[in-house]
Amino acid sequence: MMSRLSTNKTVFAWAALTPFILLFSIFMVYPLIQSAFLALNQTYGPDTRLFVGTKNFELLVHDPVFWTAIKNTLIYSLGSLFIQLPLAFGLALVLNSRRLRGRSIYRLIFFSPQLMGLAFVAVLGALAFEKRAGLVNRTLAWIMQDASLLEIDWLQEYIMSTLILISLWLYVGFNMIYFLAALQNVNNSLLEAAEIDGAGPLNKLRHVIIPSVRPVATFVVLLSMIGSLQLFELPYILLNGNGGPNNKGLTIVMYLYQNGFELGDLGYASAVGWALALMLIVLALIQIRMVRKEEALR
Amino acid sequence: MDPSSRMRHACSLALLSLKHLSLGVWIIVALFVISGVVLLTKSDRPSENLQMWVFSPEHRAMYAPMIEELQNRTEGDEKPIDLSLLSREAIKNRTMSGFLGGLPTADLIEIERAYIGQFFQGPQEAIGFHDLTDRLKAEGLYDQINAPSLSPWSVNGRTYGLPHDVHPVMLAYRADLTEAAGIDLTQATTWDKFFELLQPMMDDKDNDGRPDHYPLSMWVTQQDNIELLMLQGGAQLFDTQGIPTINTETNAQLLSEIISWCAGPNPLGTDIDEFTAAGHKSRVDGDAIAYLCPDWMCSIWKMHVPGIAGKMKVMPLPAFTEGGRRTSVRGGTMLGIPKTTQAFEQSWETAVELYTAPEIARELYRMVDIISPIRSLWDDPVYAEPDPFFMNQQKGLMFIELAPDIPVRSSSPYNYNAVLEIRDSALNVMEWTKNQSDWTEDQLLEQVHSQLERAQGAIERQMSRNAFTGVEAQ
Repeated sequence: MMSRLSTNKTVFAWAALTPFILLFSIFMVYPLIQSAFLALNQTYGPDTRLFVGTKNFELLVHDPVFWTAIKNTLIYSLGSLFIQLPLAFGLALVLNSRRLRGRSIYRLIFFSPQLMGLAFVAVLGALAFEKRAGLVNRTLAWIMQDASLLEIDWLQEYIMSTLILISLWLYVGFNMIYFLAALQNVNNSLLEAAEIDGAGPLNKLRHVIIPSVRPVATFVVLLSMIGSLQLFELPYILLNGNGGPNNKGLTIVMYLYQNGFELGDLGYASAVGWALALMLIVLALIQIRMVRKEEALR
Repeated sequence: MDPSSRMRHACSLALLSLKHLSLGVWIIVALFVISGVVLLTKSDRPSENLQMWVFSPEHRAMYAPMIEELQNRTEGDEKPIDLSLLSREAIKNRTMSGFLGGLPTADLIEIERAYIGQFFQGPQEAIGFHDLTDRLKAEGLYDQINAPSLSPWSVNGRTYGLPHDVHPVMLAYRADLTEAAGIDLTQATTWDKFFELLQPMMDDKDNDGRPDHYPLSMWVTQQDNIELLMLQGGAQLFDTQGIPTINTETNAQLLSEIISWCAGPNPLGTDIDEFTAAGHKSRVDGDAIAYLCPDWMCSIWKMHVPGIAGKMKVMPLPAFTEGGRRTSVRGGTMLGIPKTTQAFEQSWETAVELYTAPEIARELYRMVDIISPIRSLWDDPVYAEPDPFFMNQQKGLMFIELAPDIPVRSSSPYNYNAVLEIRDSALNVMEWTKNQSDWTEDQLLEQVHSQLERAQGAIERQMSRNAFTGVEAQ
């Protein structure tokens, strides 16, 4: 009787899984295999294909533009990690305080750039950081009473800094929501106990709050790193589809797009894609290791 | 347990599970089923009509009545024509996807010059557009078209589209300001004389730390204007075989001269945005006296900068050397017929009708100041009409006079990237000048050469990845 039930369960499980397996195979597994195959070829359309073996990967390793794209993407990722997330956490701490009036309004305000969408933020960012007439330069020149500040060419000379600043506007509020949720789950009895033991705000933060939000923080860090490594739309819109002067704003995914869809070289683009996938896999493995280590410590 | 009862059992288990599904899940399932049925029953057959894609609202406005007339003339014999307006990028992406995926696109497609290189990326036989060379020659059109205007749409002597325009470039300047200052700018036959004549207007009478007027709106970040000027001076970024020739003496001399206009403590050029409100305000304020002006730019100013109407004049570009070329070229559009069309003959006839009709050429000039590439149409009186925006100059005739002399352009798929590399080279040399207290022309030239060498290497590397071009990286 038991074995019949387990067979039925197996049949049902497979029946339930089949739609997922089908979709997963068509939209994930097949493109993965196809892109691995493409990376070994030079293509132009469906009928023109040349097998080039590992040449695409060899060229990639010696391609200075690819390394520039990696450098830019890493700068942006580190900017996200060390500026964006601490700011988001700080904001969450402030907006979690019961003493602050109108917390919900502030939360909405900080989260609202997410509601506008990335393309809109990029267009507004381009206007704000415009040379001479842009809001940022006008404000700087007004505060410092120095007309030469109007000439700062953010979108030509300081592209990565501009990208990081614009993405702060976009993502600080978004990550703040995660931290807020984590902060609201901090065990109050632990905070009270710490207070009774004479802990000040800094000690409470260090010994109670941070350890409590660590799992969420690890998740947000990973999410933010993966998102940063896949940066595309923001620089693409800001820089009119190219990497800006000396490719100062070129990211890995932009380079992939340029090669695959502007130069039509899907083989090389696939090689870039696999290099990115490798980076993401390494990152995910580090994350898994960190989580396991944390679990072992508990 | 036999297989059929096992199946029955599994089904009853599944039904039991279904009973516990929430309303939300049922709504999702219903939407899935409905959309699935709609998609499955929707016909994916391409339209029977002839499809034409254009990216300019003005082009659509001009073509629509002509197409209607064409269809009335050939009623019943030919397919109706659907004229669609898409963005430049959408046309490029959809056409490219169609070509790469072997899928049908439109029957007639207008492509902007900035994107055409992408369609010439693969082997020549794999280009998605019909080779129109023989047809153009057979019908005598080849000789009627302004010869250099064919170059961006041709690969190895084969032409893949009908040119829509010539886009010669003149110098547009604030004649109200120069005349008030007693300067006759038409005497500026060379760039040196031009800057010399306008030197007095660079005084800082309002004491804001900047010249009251810069002679030229031109900066090293403006890659289109750099390309335009280099073409005027005879620069070639690729030879006739498509091999990059970026680091040549001519190119270096030209780039060096252009950079010298922008470098140093007293630059002659200034950075005025061409298409933004801030740039238009600068034009009204007279921040720069002169602008590099292709024919299409006139209509943009008429639409967006009415404040300079009646204050501007045009003249041929000053040459780099006495007796040198007085014009250049910027931009362009072609009409191509994809190989996937099921109606080549009708597409060809429509294309010829639209691109060679005198009425369309007239409208093209009246609406957007663009002159036709068909030389036999250049006698049309429309081009002799005085233009009040340009102090009643017969600007059309002036552009036409320069049209045969526009430079030949490369159709290399790497041309756009090469131009970006040239811009980066210029920026790097500018950066170098900022770090020097002083420099000589020779030092500047040496820096330019070293940057052009870098640019050449970058393009060769890109090309060497393309197994179809056979170019080796140095």
